[in-house]
Amino acid sequence: MAPKPDSHTLAASSSDPSSTSSMDPLLLFLNFLPYSVLRPPRLRLKLPTFTLPSPMTVFSLVLLTYFMVVSGIVYDVIVEPPGIGSAQDPYTGSVKPLVFMPGRVNGQYIIEGLSSGFMFVVGGVGIILMDLALDKNRAKSVKVSYATAGISSVVIAYVMSMLFVRIKIPAYLH
Amino acid sequence: MAVTKTEPINGSTTKSSAPPSTSMPLKSDLLSILSLKSLRLKTKQQELLIRVSILCLVYVLAFITRLFSVLRYESMIHEFDPYFNYRTTLFLTQKGFYEFWNWFDSESWYPLGRIIGGTLYPGLMVTAAMMYWGLRFLRFAVHIREVCVLTAPFFASNTTLVAYFFGKEIWDTGAGLVAAVLIAICPGYISRSVAGSYDNEGVAIFALLLTFYLFVKAVNTGSLAWGLASAFGYFYMVSAWGGYVFIINLIPLYVLALLITGRYSMRLYVAYNCMYVLGMLLAMQIRFVGFQHVQSGEHMAAMGVFFLMQVFYFLDWVKHLLNDKKLFEAFLRITVTCAVGVGAIALGVGTASGYISPWSGRFYSLLDPTYAKDHIPIIASVSEHQPTAWSSFMFDFHILLFLFPAGLYFCFKRLSDATIFIVMYGLTSMYFAGVMVRLILVATPAVCLISAIAVSATIKNLTMLLRTKSKVSQTGSTKGTGGGKTSSKAMLDQSQPFQRNGAIALLFGAFYLLSRYAIHCTWVTSEAYSSPSIVLAARGAHGNRVIFDDYREAYYWLRQNTPPDAKVMSWWDYGYQITAMGNRTVIVDNNTWNNTHIATVGRAMSSYEDEAYEIMRSLDVDYVLVVFGGVTGYSSDDINKFLWMVRIGGGVFPVIKEPDYLVNGEYRVDKVCSPPRV
Repeated sequence: MAPKPDSHTLAASSSDPSSTSSMDPLLLFLNFLPYSVLRPPRLRLKLPTFTLPSPMTVFSLVLLTYFMVVSGIVYDVIVEPPGIGSAQDPYTGSVKPLVFMPGRVNGQYIIEGLSSGFMFVVGGVGIILMDLALDKNRAKSVKVSYATAGISSVVIAYVMSMLFVRIKIPAYLH
Repeated sequence: MAVTKTEPINGSTTKSSAPPSTSMPLKSDLLSILSLKSLRLKTKQQELLIRVSILCLVYVLAFITRLFSVLRYESMIHEFDPYFNYRTTLFLTQKGFYEFWNWFDSESWYPLGRIIGGTLYPGLMVTAAMMYWGLRFLRFAVHIREVCVLTAPFFASNTTLVAYFFGKEIWDTGAGLVAAVLIAICPGYISRSVAGSYDNEGVAIFALLLTFYLFVKAVNTGSLAWGLASAFGYFYMVSAWGGYVFIINLIPLYVLALLITGRYSMRLYVAYNCMYVLGMLLAMQIRFVGFQHVQSGEHMAAMGVFFLMQVFYFLDWVKHLLNDKKLFEAFLRITVTCAVGVGAIALGVGTASGYISPWSGRFYSLLDPTYAKDHIPIIASVSEHQPTAWSSFMFDFHILLFLFPAGLYFCFKRLSDATIFIVMYGLTSMYFAGVMVRLILVATPAVCLISAIAVSATIKNLTMLLRTKSKVSQTGSTKGTGGGKTSSKAMLDQSQPFQRNGAIALLFGAFYLLSRYAIHCTWVTSEAYSSPSIVLAARGAHGNRVIFDDYREAYYWLRQNTPPDAKVMSWWDYGYQITAMGNRTVIVDNNTWNNTHIATVGRAMSSYEDEAYEIMRSLDVDYVLVVFGGVTGYSSDDINKFLWMVRIGGGVFPVIKEPDYLVNGEYRVDKVCSPPRV
């Protein structure tokens, strides 16, 4: 009888000779033929099992990707703007840094994009914290601190984003 | 404009109220009868009334917020592309469908001509023509231009309805209502569906959302009828816009995600098979699409997933027949390996033999954004194709940018077939929106839906807090309210008023944020997205508004003062408008299907006079149209576009070299000019 291979190979062989329940002649043939010539080695390899990550792991990756996209990383890669702009003071001649690219809506410097993206993510995380604060199974102090952190994050993020927009587009809401 | 929608709590009884006393005099009897009538509505009917009235208001709102330019200027078609669509719709209503379908236009792309019947997406024109014929049948004597101008707002209103049903399918009715409200005024959508913007996207976004809704409904119910409906929705989308490639790639990706997460089911099998096969067959009816579903690389993902589904079904059936687990596992391994191997070989053979064409430049530049800059200057030159900066996102989405990650969190908390779909749609569309500004439009429905989930879930949590507290304080016993903090009642009693006040304050905060969103959207619509761009407005010296109608005056001059067979050469931006309004033959227009022809025009524009004259003689040109905005400070005139003419011309004719036109590496028009341009 064929020796029982105790390794998990990808070989197209059935695993035990109790497959006499199968009527397939090809299978019986395959059972005997290679092993009359070959001898499978005794390996201790295991195929890497593919376990799906938990939803919250995936969500954190998604949040990171969202941060990068909304900061305009594609714009940064293609247009290659400077990290921070510069403007020359007309009277003194000194060069001062300019954080927000003026003049058009669809243009940015890298730092400006990253900081705005960060504000958006903080706002989103604030709402998530507010929802976590309502979870039944935590200690009360934890819930209170989550709620406070959540509310303050949302408020700060909203105020800062509005500030950024007003600096960027001077005619905003006029 | 917050929608504080509270679901009726399970177990709550009908509205209890004291009946009015019957011993009142006759005058107040009328009042009492009226109030009695309103009291007779049960809670369910009240809820229905609220929902229907909200949806009606949202429908009207979505329509009227897009009417700014019609009220300010007049009812006319905006921009460049809509003029072509208008011209074809006019032709369709005048000559009929068969003439339209077989139309060869010799008035554009002289001397090549253009097969219009085979190179456009007819959905928009046929829709507008249907509405026109319908209104005419009802004896409303409307002009086709009015129908064209108001097509987009009408379909935007319909999109809000579809968004409501979609939100209901994914989460619950509250989320559906919020989604309808958000999408009605979201600037990302308004930018391409304002009245007068008679472009494919106005209809296509409706078709996109409809197809997605019908498909998710089919996956949720497993019914063949919904699958058929989604196939027809897909057909409408294919007829309307080239962006249907997004659908035919997102849905297989979604099916793949479901298969990987172990959510294979008979419902998914029925829904996807029905939609793919029938949708593919229907899509081949559009001449412009033709056999691309079996020949083009962009559509191969759908076919691959189709075969994978058959493999899954086969494996399921074999598992059902076999009772031996180990045997089945071995069989599984063989089959999956064989299937993947055969699929890879087939794909390889198809691509190598050239039967399956590779991804076209337009779509490939979405996957690799740096591709267009180096290889295809025409695609890179369109301002809508630039990548997106954060301020464009903020402009078009406002607080939805905060609500989007929160909504994703809620979706991940409650994973189901439908929420997985909306998450995938949201993520892929946001990535593409980051690559190209124009695609913020495609991301808008997903962002609105996911934000609606966040709003609805948060407000539901807050109102649960409110209601639990008030019920506990009033009745002293807990009813079966889900989600409330019913664990430690003693602590609840102590901190009750604080939490109740906190919840009320947070509700006011949510209301404030949503009202700021509404203000922002209305401001953006009024200031930024309602300009017809064929009529320009500026502030004069004394602050008065000055209107420039130069474009249309120029086109009418052409129409009235040039011989009917005159040929006009201009940069391709103006081609459609010249043909539609000036009624003269043009050399190149916005369709940009022939890069060499455009490069010839670019070369003519950027050469010395005598060379340019030779080129123009060879093309039989009689008139040249150049837009110059120097005196008024108009910034998007031909002088500013000149470098693109050089680049595109240089792409085909190496004689034109960009550095010749720059001085010290910069492009200047004032005192220092480079020799070839003088």
